[in-house]
Amino acid sequence: MNSEKVVFAFFIVLALTLNFGFFLGGMDNAAHHNIYELYAAIVISLISTVLKVGDRTHLGAVFLATSLVADLQLIAAAIVWGMTEHISAEALGGTSLGTVVSLSGGALLANIISVILLVSETISVRR
Amino acid sequence: MSNLLYILFRRLRSPLIVLIVVYAISVLGFVLIPGVDDQGNPWRMSFFHAFYFVSFMATTIGFGEIPYEFTDAQRFWALITMYATVVGWLYGIGVLLSVFQDSVFLNQMKTNSFSRRIKNIREPFYIICGYGDTGAQLARSLSREGILSVIIDLNAERMSDLEADDFLVPPLSLCADGSQSEILEMAGVIHPWCQGIVTIANDDTVNLTVAVVAQLLNPKLRLIARAETPEAEANILSFGANEVINPFETFASRLSLALQSPSLYCLYDWTTCAFGAKMNEPPIPASGKWIICGFGRFGSALYDHLDDSDVKLSIIESDRTRRDLPSGSIIGRPTEAPTLKKAGIEEAAGIIAGTDNDANNLSILLTASELKPDIFRIARQNEDKNSHLFQAAEFEMLMQRGSIVANTIFALIRTPMLGDFLRIVSRFKSDKAGEVVSRIIGVVEDDVPKLWEFKVTPEDAPALYETVQTRQVTVREIFQGETLHGSNHREKPLSAMPLFMKRDESNVLLPEDDRIIRAGDRFLMCGTQAAHRQMSNILSNINLLENILSGEEIPTGVFWRWLTGKTLLAKTTSETDITNSLE
Repeated sequence: MNSEKVVFAFFIVLALTLNFGFFLGGMDNAAHHNIYELYAAIVISLISTVLKVGDRTHLGAVFLATSLVADLQLIAAAIVWGMTEHISAEALGGTSLGTVVSLSGGALLANIISVILLVSETISVRR
Repeated sequence: MSNLLYILFRRLRSPLIVLIVVYAISVLGFVLIPGVDDQGNPWRMSFFHAFYFVSFMATTIGFGEIPYEFTDAQRFWALITMYATVVGWLYGIGVLLSVFQDSVFLNQMKTNSFSRRIKNIREPFYIICGYGDTGAQLARSLSREGILSVIIDLNAERMSDLEADDFLVPPLSLCADGSQSEILEMAGVIHPWCQGIVTIANDDTVNLTVAVVAQLLNPKLRLIARAETPEAEANILSFGANEVINPFETFASRLSLALQSPSLYCLYDWTTCAFGAKMNEPPIPASGKWIICGFGRFGSALYDHLDDSDVKLSIIESDRTRRDLPSGSIIGRPTEAPTLKKAGIEEAAGIIAGTDNDANNLSILLTASELKPDIFRIARQNEDKNSHLFQAAEFEMLMQRGSIVANTIFALIRTPMLGDFLRIVSRFKSDKAGEVVSRIIGVVEDDVPKLWEFKVTPEDAPALYETVQTRQVTVREIFQGETLHGSNHREKPLSAMPLFMKRDESNVLLPEDDRIIRAGDRFLMCGTQAAHRQMSNILSNINLLENILSGEEIPTGVFWRWLTGKTLLAKTTSETDITNSLE
C-alpha cells in the first residue's frame, strides 16, 4: 500500500463528496445549502490541486486541469455568495442562490471527471 | 520551461499545503467563535470578514480588529493564528529561496537559457565537443575570425574557465555530456545554421559516440573528429566523417616532415597556421643522427615516420618494462647526462624531447645543450599553460600538440578544400613542394599570406557566374590580372593565385593559366589580404569584371550605355554567339 496514493485518492474523493453534498437540494432553497460545506469544498479542492501539481505525465496534466476548473467554479460561487450577503442589500435567495448552486454543479462535474480518471488509472494498474 | 515549473512545484508542494491548511483553520475559527457588535449584541463573523482579517493579519499588515472590536475569545484565537500563519509563510518563502539556490534547479535554468539561445541563432556556427587545450585554442581562433561556436564539455572546471575567458565572439557553452543525443540536439546539430561539428574529447569512445549520433541526426553535417588509435580513426571514417585527426599521428608526421621535406613542412605549417604568420624560411636541421627521448604514443608514431627514411635514430625510454622498443634503444632517464652520453649525444645532429611531461622535456633539452651547445633542439609542449617557459628557453623548434591540432581543424573549417589539397600535396617529392612554396612566396612577397575559397555560383561570385554563362573566361584573365586586349587597366596583377580547383569529382592542383572557368567550379585561393578584398569585389561586381576582362570602362546606367554604344558582354563575343547563348 502506497500512503501517497491513499492521501491523493482521499482528497480527490473528499472534494467530490463535499461538492456533491453542497450541490444537493433545491435550487432556490437556502436551507438546503450549507455555507460551511461550500467552505470545506473549496479548501479540499485547493489542497487536491496542490497535490496534483508537479506530475509530468499526461494523466497528471488532465488531473490538474479538472482540479483547476473545480477551484475556479467553487471560488466563483463563494464570491457570488459573499457579494450578495455583504454588498447588495437583499438576502441570499432566488437568482443569486441559483447562480451559486449551478456554479457548484459545474465544479461537481469537474470533480466527477477527476474521480473517473482516478478509477480508470487504478484499474489500469494490474497487480 | 516546463521542467523548471515541475521542479518548482514539486518542492513547493508541502509549503503550499501547510499554508492552505493554516489559512483554512484560522478562517474557520473566526467564523465559529462568537463575538459582539458595537451595540453589544451577539454577532458572528462571516467567511468574508474572517478571510479579510486573516489575510491582512497573516501578511503582517494588521489593520486592527475589524469590523467590531474583538472579544477576548476572538483575541485568543487571533494570537494563535498570528504565529501559525507567519510560520507558514516563512516556511514557504524559505523553501522557495532554497529551490532557487538548488544546483539541479540552477542547471535546469542554464540548460533552458542555452537551448533558447541556440534556437535564436541566425548565423553560421560550429559545435565543439571537448574544451581541453585544443578546444580552447580552436574556440579562440574561431571567435577571432568572427565565427560563433557552441561548446559542450562535461568538465565543470573547464567550463568556468571558458566563462572567464575573453572572447571577441563569446561562444555559447553548456556543461553536459556531449555523447547524449538530446544534448547534441539541444546544441543545434539539426539547426539549419549549424555548419559542422568538431569532436575533440580526450576519450575516443566519446568522440565515436558523438560522431555516430551527429551522423544519424544530421547526415549532411560536416564532421571533424579526433581519434587517438588507428582503429577508432577507421571506425569514425567508415560512417562518413569528413576529417579524422589523430593528434599523435598529426604531430609526429608534421615533425618528420620538418626533418625530411622542409618545404612541405613549410607548406603545411603555413596553410594551417591560425593568423597572420609570415611564411617562415623552412627550418633546416642538420643531417645526421637524431635522438628521440620518450617512446610513448608520440615517440613511436615519430619513429614509424622517420624509420623508413635514411635518418639514423637513437631512442631513450625511461620505462624499464617496455618490451616493444626498437633494437639499440637505451633504457634510462633522458634527463640525466650519462643517459644522453650513452645515446651518443656527441655525434648527434639533433634531439627531440617527446615525453608527455613538460618539465622533463625542458630538463632534457637544457641538459643536452650543456653537453653539446650546437645541437638542434626540438621540444614537445604538452600543456598550453607552459607556453612562457618554452618560449623563454628559445629552442630551435617548438611543437605544441594542442595548437597543431587546433590550427589544423580551424584551417579545415575556414577552407574545407584544404584537406584534399594537403592530401594531394603530401604525395609530392620535396623539390616539387619547394616549387609550390616558392610560387606562393613569389605571389605574396613580404606580405602575410591568406587562404580563402570561392565557388562559381550566383551566391558566391555572381558577376563571374553570369559572365561564364555567355563567354569563355580563363584562369589567367581573372587571377593573373592580364587582359587579352592589351589595354591593361590595372596597375599591377593581383597578388593572388589559385592553389587548387575542384570541378565535380575531379581535383586540379595549381590550375594552369589557360584553363576555362565553368559554373560550379570551386577554387582554393592564396594571396594577400588586400588581394582577397579586391577579388571579392571583382567576383561580385559585373562592371568591374567586364572592365578587367575587356580593358574598357562600361557605363553602369542603361542611358550611358546607349549613349556610348557600349553594352555588357558584346565586346568579346560576336552577335551570333549572344543569340546562341540566349537560345
